[in-house]
Amino acid sequence: MGINQERVVNEERSTSAQEAAMENFHGKAHFWGRLTLWSAIILTLSLPVILSFVLGYHPGWSVILAGFIAYASIVAAVWVLEPIMYFPVLGVSGTYISFLTGNIGNMCLPSAAAAQHAVGAEPGTKKGEITATLGIGAASIVNKLFLIPIILGGSVLISTIPENIQRIFPLVLPAIFGGVLAQFAIKKPIYGVIALAVGLLVNLTSLVVYLKMLLCIMLTIVICVLLEKRRAGE
Amino acid sequence: MEDVMRLANSGVVWIIATLVLTVVIFQAIKFIMLAAGASKEIGMSRGEVHSALKTGAIAAIGPSFAIIIVAISLIPLLGDPLTLMRIGIIGSAPIESVGATLGAEAYGTELGSSGFNYQAFTTVVWTLCLGGVGWLVFTALATKSMSRVEKKVTNKSEKSKKTMTIITTAAMVAAFGNLASAEMIKGFAYVLVVITSSLTMILFTSLANKHQLNWLREWSLGFSIIAGLFVGYFAL
Repeated sequence: MGINQERVVNEERSTSAQEAAMENFHGKAHFWGRLTLWSAIILTLSLPVILSFVLGYHPGWSVILAGFIAYASIVAAVWVLEPIMYFPVLGVSGTYISFLTGNIGNMCLPSAAAAQHAVGAEPGTKKGEITATLGIGAASIVNKLFLIPIILGGSVLISTIPENIQRIFPLVLPAIFGGVLAQFAIKKPIYGVIALAVGLLVNLTSLVVYLKMLLCIMLTIVICVLLEKRRAGE
Repeated sequence: MEDVMRLANSGVVWIIATLVLTVVIFQAIKFIMLAAGASKEIGMSRGEVHSALKTGAIAAIGPSFAIIIVAISLIPLLGDPLTLMRIGIIGSAPIESVGATLGAEAYGTELGSSGFNYQAFTTVVWTLCLGGVGWLVFTALATKSMSRVEKKVTNKSEKSKKTMTIITTAAMVAAFGNLASAEMIKGFAYVLVVITSSLTMILFTSLANKHQLNWLREWSLGFSIIAGLFVGYFAL
């Protein structure tokens, strides 16, 4: 009995120590995440400002506004929807890295999912978030290591790849998505079936791309939660 | 047009592109260090940390190639440094080319045409940079609030914590269900590739589980992509 009590106390202490560690980690993530994002924002905007006002190529505000509004009418909804949609999956630190490094659906999410799969961590848990951060961070660096030399070397390298090999590049995406979907289907087969069924149904509609994603996520979550509730009730 | 490309590849643009890339790489390294530090305290082993890093790196190779192929098509229109800067942060190549087209149109010209002058280039840069900053501003402002909302939900009880895990897993599966099915409706070869890579993943994972092969688990996504591409090559 005494031993049992001691173990309970120890376990409580260790979970509260873990909470504190995560709290500390999130605090640092918010600080460095915001600092790096705002630096990137200022640097990015300094380029058009320099072109306009230092080098003197200002095209006029009405022209800039026209271009911006045309572009924003396509992407503005995505600015808000994407970070909210992906937050439960990416967590605090994953959100900061993913939205700075870009290519979330095709690179960051698959890397996070693969890392969690390798370590055996559930998404949405502490271990899941740390694992996702490590996976996405490594992915971001690898991506830049590929991107920089190839752009510096120009398109020369790519043009040496034979044409019949270049033809299969569009198939990289379905290959990634199929593989990652199967990772989940192994652990939660029913979730995989639901997600694919909802996905196919939603993609046959003529909704805009980001609304398809939103609808797909909402529907799958609702169905899965209801399903688990029914299971728990039985 | 040639003059414009000289401007597009000039020192100023290079310097800013390099600085932006430096911030992105610095952030990735900083967050890896923070996560590695926290991993010990939440009870992850060193082996697990290495495995997570390795798997993330391997998983990024395939997509990086696909991203670069599209990025290359932007170079003749935007120049090297701007392409690097736009694709290196937030940008996805198809969206960037739409933005560039719209910027040129707003100036009353077309990308790559003889009327594409310094001012037109500047308009394109404004459009891309202002447009791309939208995500960053929202993420910088809202992430803390989103995390507060999430904590409120998960702190309530064991039961809501469990529900949160279900929601997160379902959201992740849904994202890939949607992405995969959007590819599958493109044609027979695409369906075949999705199925092949799924089956390969299932095969390798069960092998890895059966024989306790951790390296196989780390490479399983990479192998699945290759198997999918191999079958797709003959189906195209």
